[in-house]
Formats: sequence, structure tokens, C-alpha cells
Amino acid sequence: MPRRAPPAHKNSKAKLKMVSINYASKDICCKIVFYGPGLSGKTTNLQYVHEKIPPSTRGELISLATDQDRTLYFDFLPVDIGKINGFSIKFQLYTVPGQVYYNATRKLVLRGVDGLVFVADSQRSKMDENIESYQNLVENLEGYGYDIEKLPLVFQYNKRDLSDVSSTDELESILNPKGLSHFEAVATQGMGVFDTLKCISKLVLDQAKGKKVVPEREVLGKEVIMAESKPAQPERVEDLKTPITRPRIRASANLFPEKVELSKEKEAEPIPEEKSELFSKETKCEPPLSEKREELETEKEEMVAGGLNYGQEEKKVGSEQPSPKAGENPTIISWSVTKQRTKSVPRGFFLWRFFKKLLNR
Amino acid sequence: MGQEYLVIYEEEIKKIEKILNRLIKNSQAKCALLVDKDGHLITRQGFTHSLDTTALAALLAGSFASTKEIARLVGEPEFSVLFHQGKKDHIHICLVGERSILAVIFDDRTTIGLVRLYAKETSEELTTILASATEEKRDERTKMGSDFSTSLENKLDDIFAE
Repeated sequence: MPRRAPPAHKNSKAKLKMVSINYASKDICCKIVFYGPGLSGKTTNLQYVHEKIPPSTRGELISLATDQDRTLYFDFLPVDIGKINGFSIKFQLYTVPGQVYYNATRKLVLRGVDGLVFVADSQRSKMDENIESYQNLVENLEGYGYDIEKLPLVFQYNKRDLSDVSSTDELESILNPKGLSHFEAVATQGMGVFDTLKCISKLVLDQAKGKKVVPEREVLGKEVIMAESKPAQPERVEDLKTPITRPRIRASANLFPEKVELSKEKEAEPIPEEKSELFSKETKCEPPLSEKREELETEKEEMVAGGLNYGQEEKKVGSEQPSPKAGENPTIISWSVTKQRTKSVPRGFFLWRFFKKLLNR
Repeated sequence: MGQEYLVIYEEEIKKIEKILNRLIKNSQAKCALLVDKDGHLITRQGFTHSLDTTALAALLAGSFASTKEIARLVGEPEFSVLFHQGKKDHIHICLVGERSILAVIFDDRTTIGLVRLYAKETSEELTTILASATEEKRDERTKMGSDFSTSLENKLDDIFAE
């Protein structure tokens, strides 16, 4: 869609939120990712949407796929919903490569995700793959410091037209015990595709409005508190060039997003009933909210200054390291680099000994 | 959402655009795009009308992300500059701060060296602007109006109709 996206400067009224909401041109841009095991129909979903929606609302469907049409990196479809109350709503639909092998690229697509559709393959034989893929989704999100509990998520049980499929109840009990929205689908014929898309679109925009997105989850508050006691998932190795500016134990992946939401919501509008319960639950076990918020703000700033170093790193050793203050030049060599260096010393040593032996001969 | 929002005000967008324009003028490039690492276009300048900038932004971010992973695998924290050479047009991509990417598209009227020089300079300038945006507390919320949900529902029904 070359001409439709207006340049930000043309009608810059207010501000721009970089991740998904662009206030400069009053654009709301949401990234929705279709996740699921290989061959479950994620790309088919996008193809159907691309085929059926009015050409004026959609951009080009870009597929980074192998010669056999298996997604290699992602499929991308921009959809322009148009103006609603002065806001121009845009969705960017992405799929991930489903094959286990492509986890590295799959994870990259999740960066900055606003909403998720989990496309499960309903066939009985594929149940294990569904479970594995869901677990992989949780892990990959944790890697970025996102909590799956806080992200809008809907399930799509695809391939309902095949003969040997699990019942919806079965799929629900295994994949979706929390009872989030789910849809039965036959993506090749388009059944359930738009229902899924409508549902996730609404959830994502509700979240942008600051509504509580997951009302079904009554136990949310408790889970948050439990999650806070967990050690943090540090960020990917790549971001470690500027080290984490605080002991990692506090930078809980789950704690961070929840706090942002809470603090935002409280300032802007009266807290909904469920939410206020959540507050009271938290304040019982935690320092008062105002303190928490301050803590969060400093945490946020530090993280921003430190290069958004929340997220994944599989093995963390650096949590006890004293951290430099935000803004300082990173002097501490990240763990990954240190590890490689210590590794490379013995290797060189053996090489040297080998040559010495050769020379001696 | 587990995300960090960064709010940039209009005046900053204008400053950024001014800087990008200067870059294009100095380096004689065709156009310049500033893209968020998540794949959202922040702003663009120059001859972009023939380009599908939305898709370009998503692909640039994807390309940069995968290169970053490659860098990690070979033991580099990040490759800060990428360059793609074509027959006519070339593209120079460099990192701006921690979370944005500057892409400059240029042709044979200029040279890679010139583009690289000015892109580096621009990247530093933009970094300070974006850094000041992150340091300030800008907790802005969307005010979409009360009838937003119903309007949205109708609109979605219209567009996503089979």
C-alpha cells in the first residue's frame, strides 16, 4: 500500500507512541502474530484474508518462504481498517514459521507483538505438536520479557473438516484451560478466519484503550504475585553490550508489564472492579502502590537507558555483578563475551602446544 | 503488554525530518526511512512515493533482526551497519540508538562512502533525540471516545465480511 500510509508529518497533531500507536498522524498500528505448529494453516489464514478483504484496505501479502512454500521467516499483510473517531487503524498481520527448526527466526517475529492468534491443528495426531508449539510460544515471549497472560490471545482450532480430529472440548482442556476465546476454523475455505481476526482486533484495540483484556482470568492477581518472586529472565545476549543496570532478580519478566498497565490505568480512569481487587491483592503483599510505581518508573528508565535489557538469556551468571548506573558507558563485558574469551584461551593453548610438538619433531 | 512505549512529540518528529532531509541533501540519496525495530515506520523523507514503505519497514526490521542474530552467533553483539548493493539502487542500513533503524536508499549519483559518512552523523544526532524521548516520562493514553468500540465493530464487520 504505497500511497495510503500518510507521512507522519502531514497531520501531526499530538504525539507518537513508537511501538504500536502513532499519535503523530493519529495512527494506531497493531502487530498481530499468527502462531502455531508447522502446517497448521497460519499462512492460509493470511492468504484468505488477503483474498477476501477489499483491495483498498490491504497491502501486499509478503511471504518469505522456501521453494516448497513453507514459511521461512514470516508472512506479512498490512490491513488498513480506516478512520474510527479520528484514529486511523492499521493492523499488521504476521505469521511465524511453524517448523521447530526455525525457532531463531520465529522468535524474531514476536518482537513488539500486540496480539496473538494461536492456530492449532485439530488432527489427533498433531496434538503433541500443538502443545510443543504453545510451550515454545510462552518461552519465546518470556525471552522478550512479555507475559502471555497479559497479551491478547485467541485460539483457532483449524482443519475441522478433516476426519480424525480432536473434539473442541479436548483441545480446550489441553491448550486453553483458561477459557479464552476460541474459534473452529477451516482456513482453506475461510470458515472461522474472519471471526478469529475480528475477535483479536477488538482485544488488541481494547488493550490500547487501557481496558482489561482478559476478564476470564479471575486468578490473575495471584499469579502476578507468584510470578514476581521468580528470578528474572534476562535479555538476549545481543543486548548485553549495555549491561542490565540493576540486579536481575527484580527485573521480573512478568512484573514489568503488569506494573506499567496498572500505573497507567490508575492515573487515567477509575479502576474497574476486577482491577481494584487486583490492586488490593497486590498491596497486601507488596510495598504500597505509589512506591511500586516509583520503582517501576526508575526501572523503566534504567531499562531504557540500558538498552531495554529485559528479556531472555538462557544462562545467567551476571545477576550478582554490580551494575553501572544508567547512562554510563558500558564497561562490564557481558557474560557471553567473557565466556567466549575464557573458552578461546584453552583452544589457543592447545594449538600452541600442537605446533610446539611439531617443531620439536 | 510487555512493551516499552516511547512517545515522541510532534516537534521531535519535525526535528527528525529536518535531519533526514539534510542527510538526503548532503549525501544526494533518494530517500531515508526511520524504522522502529518492531517494524513500524516512524517517519520517511525523500522520494518514497513509489515505495511500499509499510512493507519496506517490516522487511527492514526483519532483515536487521536476523542479521543481529547472525552477529550474536558469530560472537558480535550487533552489526551496526548493513549494506545491500544492487544494479541501480543500493541501500545502507544503520542502527540508531537501541531501537531504531535508519535506512538510506541511494543510486549511482552518489557514493557509498558519502552516504556512510552522513548516515553515521545523522544516526548520532537522531540517537540523542530519541534518547531524550525515552528519558522523559510520557505516559500518554489513547482517548478514542466512548463510541469507539461500536464504531470499530461495525467497521470490522464491513471489512471482514465474507
